[in-house]
Amino acid sequence: MRPASDDEGQDHGHALTAKRWIVTSETGRRNFAEHVLPHLDDAYSLARWLCGDATDAEDIVQDACVRALRALESGAPVERPRAWLLAIVRNAAYSWLGKNRPRAIILAGGAEEAEAHADALETGASPSPEAALIETADRAMVAAAIDGLPLAFRETLVMREINGLSYRDISEATGAPIGTVMSRLARARALLVQKLGTAP
Amino acid sequence: MTRPGFEDRSLLLHATLDGELDAAGVIEMERFLAADPELAAEYARLKALRETIRAKAPRERASDSLRLRVMEIAEGGEPPRREAKTAPWRGPPSWLSFAAAMAATVVATLGLQHLIASSNAPDAALQAIVSAHMRSQISGQPVDVVSTDRHTVKPWLAGKLPVAADVVDLAEAGFPLAGGRIDIVAGAAVPTLVYKRRDHLISVTELRADKGDGASVQRDLAVEGYPVVRWFDGERAYVAVSDLSPTELDAFVAAFRRAVAKERGGGAGGESVK
Repeated sequence: MRPASDDEGQDHGHALTAKRWIVTSETGRRNFAEHVLPHLDDAYSLARWLCGDATDAEDIVQDACVRALRALESGAPVERPRAWLLAIVRNAAYSWLGKNRPRAIILAGGAEEAEAHADALETGASPSPEAALIETADRAMVAAAIDGLPLAFRETLVMREINGLSYRDISEATGAPIGTVMSRLARARALLVQKLGTAP
Repeated sequence: MTRPGFEDRSLLLHATLDGELDAAGVIEMERFLAADPELAAEYARLKALRETIRAKAPRERASDSLRLRVMEIAEGGEPPRREAKTAPWRGPPSWLSFAAAMAATVVATLGLQHLIASSNAPDAALQAIVSAHMRSQISGQPVDVVSTDRHTVKPWLAGKLPVAADVVDLAEAGFPLAGGRIDIVAGAAVPTLVYKRRDHLISVTELRADKGDGASVQRDLAVEGYPVVRWFDGERAYVAVSDLSPTELDAFVAAFRRAVAKERGGGAGGESVK
């Protein structure tokens, strides 16, 4: 009995060791403190919006930080720390989604389709809502509207509006060309305007 | 597109809003806006949207526990259990042990069938339970089934285990359900429930006890620095492990036992842990 449970624990222990115990150098720690720690709120916020859950977001950020530390230890140069870290957070979030919400990834693959849908909205027959109406939306409505965006739009919007990244940074973090970033942002906003402006 | 050029101008509108246009571009855009009321209305909507998002969906702050966990990673990724060995909720802990404490979970393991089988078995079982708890935290997968609904967790566990586990709703007591998982204790698969308390997780594992031991409770146990509470309710045994203070853990155990007793129709176990 006892050996069985010990072995079990050790197996997991090894897996965790490989994942988590990283030998850190003084330089690595300093770079980590300089490039990662200041952007933790941004990292958490992005993860939170991508996965939709506070606890899961913390796990994603933790995973991302391990990846970031590894990259720093390997001596990779970091020019734009925030975009760099958020790119890592995004990758960690996609890994998490792939494992826990595979449907979300599949839907993300249909972004082009969703873009077409957004086109329909933009030129659609429904009257454009008043700006004042949009401002009456409460927190829950705004959160639900953002959560309802297709993944590719959501991440672009969150990076711009909540993380405050420039187009160039978003392009770097998502790997999408700036033109795509711009069109996704426009689509995301059109969907939000439509949703918040017509909500009951 | 209903109007030629609308698409491009729409993108420029967003670029204006986002401060991505150079001065020449801004001037041109201002001319467009002045000449086109529809475009100006769109711009107003976009500005309203931005204000709304900023006010209603602000950037969220990473929790202190997350911050500490991350700082801990930078310190070489020492796992929480190393620092948690010496009762982290007492005395003046270093920030590292504090981080470990914050990161820890409460694990309550129910039904220590094998635990009472031999004299040293209890320690082995407690160790396994605490290890499972620590592993669940470090792996970032505290639960196999994520749900705040006990009616989801219970059948999930029932479908994987020979015995039905008690799954109670403790949200009103301040311990919302996070989900459940299967742990291996002394070679047997046992159900563990995970509850939340602020940033802490609480795992409760249920085991079947060989003999009814009344409602005895063992408190002030500590394994790897985690406080552990073990108790027996009739033919079941339970163990709770946590980085919460022993007081809070006791509160959790009391709430859990009350709820279980109620669930079973007012049987034994309704008394307070104290």
